[in-house]
Amino acid sequence: MQINFIKSKEKEKILEELNKQFGINEIPFMLIRGGNEKIRGFSGNLTREQLDKLSQLLRIELIGIYLIKNEHENDFRPSMDGIHLLKNQITKNIIEIDDEQFKSWIRGNDLDIKTEKGTFIISYKGDFIGSGKSNGERIFNYVPKDRRLRK
Amino acid sequence: MARYEMKPAFEARMKKLMPDKEDFEAFSKIVHTGPRNFVRCNTLKISPENLVERLKLKWNVIQPFKEYPEIILINQELGPGEIGNALEHLLGHYYVQEVCSMMSVIALNPKPNEFILDLCASPGSKTTQIAMKMENKGTLIANDVAMGRIAILASNLEKNGVTNAIVTRMDSVNLCTKLENQGMKADKILLDAPCSGEGTLRSSPKTFLMWNEKVVNNLSRQQKKLIAHAIRCLKVGGTLVYSTCTHAPEEDESVIDFALKNFPVKVEHISLPLKCRPGLTEWKTDNYNKEVTKTCRIYPQDNDSEGFFVSKLTLLKEIE
Repeated sequence: MQINFIKSKEKEKILEELNKQFGINEIPFMLIRGGNEKIRGFSGNLTREQLDKLSQLLRIELIGIYLIKNEHENDFRPSMDGIHLLKNQITKNIIEIDDEQFKSWIRGNDLDIKTEKGTFIISYKGDFIGSGKSNGERIFNYVPKDRRLRK
Repeated sequence: MARYEMKPAFEARMKKLMPDKEDFEAFSKIVHTGPRNFVRCNTLKISPENLVERLKLKWNVIQPFKEYPEIILINQELGPGEIGNALEHLLGHYYVQEVCSMMSVIALNPKPNEFILDLCASPGSKTTQIAMKMENKGTLIANDVAMGRIAILASNLEKNGVTNAIVTRMDSVNLCTKLENQGMKADKILLDAPCSGEGTLRSSPKTFLMWNEKVVNNLSRQQKKLIAHAIRCLKVGGTLVYSTCTHAPEEDESVIDFALKNFPVKVEHISLPLKCRPGLTEWKTDNYNKEVTKTCRIYPQDNDSEGFFVSKLTLLKEIE
């Protein structure tokens, strides 16, 4: 596996966008570009050189955790687990939902909430339960299938 | 739950392991009951106190071991899927894990900033427990051989917020050989080996049907090969925990006896929060090194748990 490390300048740009969108001001991970525009974060204590050496030696499937999806240029959506890891920094674009909306959202349904267009973090009684994208009329659900309640 | 009976050969072996009639009867009785509902608090995401406070709103929960507050017992009957469908589970606040299965990592005692190998990692119960003890610091290589198992492992690592793992898909022997050739040695290794699963009768009653002695002997050969390669990947002074979920001495003490005969290792005493019986020094026509008495046999009737075997080895010097 060829490891595609994200360079510090690009990391700065990502952080700038995440700061604009959600108030995030630090990503305490080495960032690696995975498939499907996914950006992964690694907190292990190996250097890039050591990881490169390891990747030539072993059949590596994954490194670290899926943190952010780079949807379009300058458009970054944190993954469910990325949100949990960065939750103490998230201060903007949070939508609080009620009991009924929660029951629907956690089963994978979209939310009929009118809001500005963009990406939002969904919060229920203090827990962040994923992110969604709004077209202005509806927030589309991005909770991964294996994290939804069974219907 | 469907009730399966012990095969005669299996019953005879168990009676030999448990010569006391009452002891065997207690074993025979408990293996036909379902397991208790244990979960492990994922301290990467929430403290045991906060999790218990949340879970108490829906269930009767207790923390049976003062020294291990992360071990939580849900002390009541639960509906099908109830434990997996709770919001706290979806958020990765706890991992559903039988208490015996937590013992390997307690014995391994991972610390932040170590380099640790988990050789047979899927589905990830012990891997996530190791990462939790490492506080996501240091490097954890989580290996398994089959793609389907890797997908489950990856999903559990994500859900539990593990950020310091590298997931590899290789035969463990091959992985250890490659690391050893590059001089990359681990501080600690967990070898939770593929086994005949005699300890999982309560959660997986089909083991009654699937068990056969030939499989036990084949697995024993495979386990010896695995431990031989794992030890070569260990730093001098490093720790290897070898565990199985079986009672078969061929897969337990015999493997440790093999390691003692062929490598400069010693068996360490282990202190676990469950009742352990010492490893056996004799089985059938074999006699094992007396050191194997330091290993732990965990029987279901002693702890109202599943069955398990845990051992801890230290590499004393470079292997010639």
